[in-house]
Amino acid sequence: MQISNWGQNGHSYKMPKMILLATNITVAETEKAKAAGFADTVIMKPLRASMVAACLQQVLGLGRKPQNGRDVPNKCTGLRGLLCGKKILVVDDNIVNRRVAAGALKKFGADVQCAESGQEALKWLQLPHEFDACFMDIQMPEMDGFEATRLIREMENKVNTQMNGGCMADGTTKKNEWHIPILAMTADVIHATLDKCLKCGMDGYVSKPFQEKSLYQAVAKFFESKPISNS
Amino acid sequence: MEVDQLQRSFVEYSRLLFHEGFLDGQFSQLQLLQDESNPDFVLEVVSLFFEDSERLLNDLTIALDQQNVEFKKIDAHVHQLKGSSSSIGAQRVKNVCIAFRNLCDEQNAEGCLRCLQQVKQEYLLVKTKLEALLRERHDKRVVHDLNCGFIFQLEQQIVAAGGAIPMLNEFC
Repeated sequence: MQISNWGQNGHSYKMPKMILLATNITVAETEKAKAAGFADTVIMKPLRASMVAACLQQVLGLGRKPQNGRDVPNKCTGLRGLLCGKKILVVDDNIVNRRVAAGALKKFGADVQCAESGQEALKWLQLPHEFDACFMDIQMPEMDGFEATRLIREMENKVNTQMNGGCMADGTTKKNEWHIPILAMTADVIHATLDKCLKCGMDGYVSKPFQEKSLYQAVAKFFESKPISNS
Repeated sequence: MEVDQLQRSFVEYSRLLFHEGFLDGQFSQLQLLQDESNPDFVLEVVSLFFEDSERLLNDLTIALDQQNVEFKKIDAHVHQLKGSSSSIGAQRVKNVCIAFRNLCDEQNAEGCLRCLQQVKQEYLLVKTKLEALLRERHDKRVVHDLNCGFIFQLEQQIVAAGGAIPMLNEFC
């Protein structure tokens, strides 16, 4: 059978998954079949509903259903579209929070780096850097999120002034500015805190632990409508 | 391996945990973050939570044992515990932490001591339950992996050994 020749020209044709039903097959034969592209997997006969279900799950790459049946896939597409491949710095002095935040962002394809303090964040964000965004915990010992953000903006302003100090030959100024989106991570979202966030130079906030909807809304402002120019 | 029983008790146990308020929706979020590229995520995060919490509870005990109680320091520790318990969905621990912080604000040493006892209790309760849950998940996953990867081998072996192939109900 020339099944392997189907669908080689262009991605519009999707090869159906092939499941081989066998009564008596060795491991070696199974591996051969899989390697030849003849079968995606093998089920032993007699068929059992549970086995068919498990195999279908495996070959169709279906993950676990959400436990409370929430509409996760659509949101995932949205967040994955925004975060996939983005380099993100997560700053939190608590190791559990760091791991959970990183896990959530990585799920959507982000490339995550963690920092455990404001000071460490400053080191990572020395210019030039390749980060696309920073999630910053507010309440941290020694240097809180507000202070860290203030210092980051100071750093950026300094470099921006140096870069754009002079006019171009045609009289225009080159508009290339460092400004990393910084989102506060906070469990207590009070307006007073939000005001302070914005005053320090933060771009927004997101509640923690992350909820997909609010995460999406917060991130969508930077990765869709506003292109980041880092050069 | 009595997978049916394992799986049934897993579902019932999870429901019980949620119903009694030990774990909230955040814990299910963690489960959703676990996949083939991150197969031990829940275990890792829960282990970190245990380590972190035990350290904090220890620090709190010492801090409250001082002649001059430093409420700011205590509040900082409780804030940490509130954050981490919130991140893994340990709802009851988090709620006690909220009350604890209020007592710190009031500089109520006796109240704080009582709260410390309470938070220790809640922590131990959720720890026991999480450990049991993780053991059951591990067993279920072992079976799942066997199912999808090596079932034909196993079946041959079982039949060759004169055994009966167990009925396995896969569900999410």
